[in-house]
Amino acid sequence: MSAYLRSLSSSILLLMFSMSALLANAELPANINWLTNDEDPVYASPEAVKGGTLKSVLLSFPLTLRYVGPDSNGGFRSAILGNQMSLVVTHPNTYKLLPSLATHWAYSDDNKTMYFRLNPKARWSDGKPVTPDDFAFTLEFMRSKEIVAPWYNTYYSEEVGEVVIYDAHTFSVSSAKPRPRNELASHVALNPTPRHFYKDLTGYVQKYNWEVEPNTGAYQISEIKKGKSITFSRKKDWWAQDLKYYKNRFNVDKVRYTVIRDMNLAWEHFKKGNLDMFGITQPVYWHEKATGDIFDQGYVHKLWFYNESPQYSSGLWLNQDNPILKDYNVRLGIAHSFNIEKVNQQVLRGDYERKHNIHSGFGAFTNPDIRSREFDLEKANMYFEKAGWGERGGDGIRVKDGQRLSLAVTYGVDDHTPRLVVLKEEFKRAGLELNLRKMDSAASFKSVLEKNHEIWWGALGGGRWPQYWGQFHSVNAHKPQTNNITNTDDPEMDRLIEAYRSAMSTEQRVKLAHQLQQLIHEQSAWIPSLDVPYERIAYWRWIRLPEVPGTRIGGTGLSPFDFNGSFDTSDGGLFWIDSKMKKETEAARKKDKTFPAVTRIDDTYKVKN
Amino acid sequence: MPVFNFNPLTLNKIKRFKSIRRGYYSFIIFTLLVLLSCAAEMLVNSRALVVAYQGQWYFPTYGDIIPGTQLGFEYEYETNYRVLKKRLQGSDSGFVLLPPIPYNPYETDLKNNQFPPFPPSFEDQHYLGTDTIGRDVAARLVYGFRTAIFFSLILLVVSYLIGVSIGAAMGYFGGLFDLLFQRIIEIWSNIPFLYVIMIVSSIMIPNFYTLIAIILVFGWIQMTWYMRTVTYKEKAREYVMAARALGASHKRVIFNHILPNTISIIVTFIPFSIANGIIALTSLDYLGFGLPAPTPSWGELLSQGSNNLESVWIVSSVIVAMTVILVMVTFIGEAIREAFDPKKHTTYE
Repeated sequence: MSAYLRSLSSSILLLMFSMSALLANAELPANINWLTNDEDPVYASPEAVKGGTLKSVLLSFPLTLRYVGPDSNGGFRSAILGNQMSLVVTHPNTYKLLPSLATHWAYSDDNKTMYFRLNPKARWSDGKPVTPDDFAFTLEFMRSKEIVAPWYNTYYSEEVGEVVIYDAHTFSVSSAKPRPRNELASHVALNPTPRHFYKDLTGYVQKYNWEVEPNTGAYQISEIKKGKSITFSRKKDWWAQDLKYYKNRFNVDKVRYTVIRDMNLAWEHFKKGNLDMFGITQPVYWHEKATGDIFDQGYVHKLWFYNESPQYSSGLWLNQDNPILKDYNVRLGIAHSFNIEKVNQQVLRGDYERKHNIHSGFGAFTNPDIRSREFDLEKANMYFEKAGWGERGGDGIRVKDGQRLSLAVTYGVDDHTPRLVVLKEEFKRAGLELNLRKMDSAASFKSVLEKNHEIWWGALGGGRWPQYWGQFHSVNAHKPQTNNITNTDDPEMDRLIEAYRSAMSTEQRVKLAHQLQQLIHEQSAWIPSLDVPYERIAYWRWIRLPEVPGTRIGGTGLSPFDFNGSFDTSDGGLFWIDSKMKKETEAARKKDKTFPAVTRIDDTYKVKN
Repeated sequence: MPVFNFNPLTLNKIKRFKSIRRGYYSFIIFTLLVLLSCAAEMLVNSRALVVAYQGQWYFPTYGDIIPGTQLGFEYEYETNYRVLKKRLQGSDSGFVLLPPIPYNPYETDLKNNQFPPFPPSFEDQHYLGTDTIGRDVAARLVYGFRTAIFFSLILLVVSYLIGVSIGAAMGYFGGLFDLLFQRIIEIWSNIPFLYVIMIVSSIMIPNFYTLIAIILVFGWIQMTWYMRTVTYKEKAREYVMAARALGASHKRVIFNHILPNTISIIVTFIPFSIANGIIALTSLDYLGFGLPAPTPSWGELLSQGSNNLESVWIVSSVIVAMTVILVMVTFIGEAIREAFDPKKHTTYE
């Protein structure tokens, strides 16, 4: 009965939505100013050739092929979304908009709506044309309770407005609130969802768990061996293959993901040649594991590629509701006894860079004048003494009114234990005891959102533009389930954040962002740790890359598909496989013939400090 | 008067145990290791044993830290005695006597332009090298051993107390009580205990005692089955009936009459339970669900070692140590079993 009611209500809803789309039937504003872009430089290599199979690895088999709903937030999601095109994308080097499913776009004057003109050639993988209605369906889909994805339900209801269809190829998407132009596209340039494929969303989670949704990108899943492997094949007549910014990209015929459940084992497979490439950003890989025979003999190349992608705001987040951490001088004392440089220099081989600013890597938005507080035990001592923590107990830890200066740090990544262990010993020298609370990563984040932490060692981020409201506005302080992890409650901060949120010009936003970063630095409730402004990879020599082997924001061009976090850029599929070199290499390995060793460091996009 | 008044049967067992050479020697070495580990602070420590400085004598091993300012340094944190030793060498203002392994299991001994793990070095007194963040492997092995063995012993005592009591009660009272507990235990033992531990320890941070408590929740079961069976057997014997006829309470009959007659079963299981305890803690630490970092532990060393097979000294040290300890415990167990073998002698005719 209730199932019947539910399906009835959802069909009524469906009806209402389609009616609203029909009724809208609106007229396009008269003075519309259509924009497009074919002037920015291409970043694919004209030498690229098609063919070959890329052998890649999955550390676990995905629990679903859906990209929303329960269990869909795994690593494989990016491979699925990587073959879903958006209306417009961002050029990964110039950050300007590029045509994708839309050939032209335009802005409304109220900073809320974008108009799009769909490419008439755009096709789904099942041959059906992409229509404006597929974008209207995206909203229906994402707002449906059937997908069991509350975050998406909320986002698409509260952040995105409506789709209005004008004719067979023209429509508009609005945002629920005005946004600066450069940010508007990332909210309203939707991915289409094939209405013809989803006849009925009832029972979506189970029904579509292993269904391959038609897509618009270069590859589609062609073979699934449950628990073992998933293969993507390149579409022979992909509709976008001759478009300016898609030409000479997505070159390999097949991309095969094989499940290898252990990182060390995967590394051994790579060294055998069973995998074509391997991420070796971690110092221990770059300096130690990725050395020896196959590297010296030139079979495998190493690439260190600097990029300029927005960095995560990694550091110590001090909970200012804690009676000890409430004291400004204690926070300064902690900042001056935080010997992250020792961790970097003596454990991480000096490969990482000290972070100075909560929003480093955001281009003009990053305030270059902010310098993080240096490790200095005398200064730390001075601040701790100012806060009344001058006396030390028998174990060398500071005491005040019988209380020890002992704080717990919550974190969720096993690999970070070594770093914290070194820091713990360093803090001890300053008279501060740091207890390590390692939790499962989901559990640790939950405890932080509940504000049960004293100090959180972690990172937030992932957006194209700095955001402050969630993390630093007082409305989000002192309550659970918000991102204001430091419990910052400062009227001046609030004023600046509100101004930042309502500012529509880039200059103004940049100025306000700089002021906010300065304020965050001054209050010292967030203490910066390290940045990793690069990516390092190892690949067999038959993998070929363009002259500049990556993009400014996207990193190395070794991702087979497009999707790159939430940066809305199109930077995947730049490499190709040289079958002649592959044969040559395989023959050479049998005869012990060697090639010159290659270690490439590319700093085209390195940010000069 | 002798302190222990063993009955001839016990003396006989001890004699037999001594006659099984490898078990007996293992027992001696093992006991010695446990005792030594209690004094680990004097053997493996960054604090000096004795410091003579400007006519003053210091014994820093136990007690409060001695800040650097007191021994001629400018800092207020704990004195680095290795540096002090170098400084005082050749001067006549004093001397420093360091333990044989002058590192504690927590400190990171890092160098410039060289990156841990460092291979074994006699010069640096890292006899088994360092782990991936520069901590002394030997120090971590020793303190890890101490943690593991005491963990195991406490676990053993408590789980046997519970297991033996419940098992004996089940066998002794029989009937509904027995039936009820049998079912409870069957259900309880079907819960995948490793998963439960993983779930629990991912939500809360276990410490030494909570970890014992968690393992105990499932660990008491094993002994109940054996105790139930032997108690059943013993209960039917005349001496029990006689005790009951004399008016002995149930408690007295179980603990004063039946238990001594089943002691051979319990004693036989002890060494293997110790081994199991060590293995349980080590595997939990290996999987990252054990004691919180940076507690020195074998499981953590093992996981570091298997992730860094190139630095062979880490994995080989811990594997050798584990093998030696577990083999010794097994030898002891075998010898005890042999000594208590009822085929050789019986406790009643």
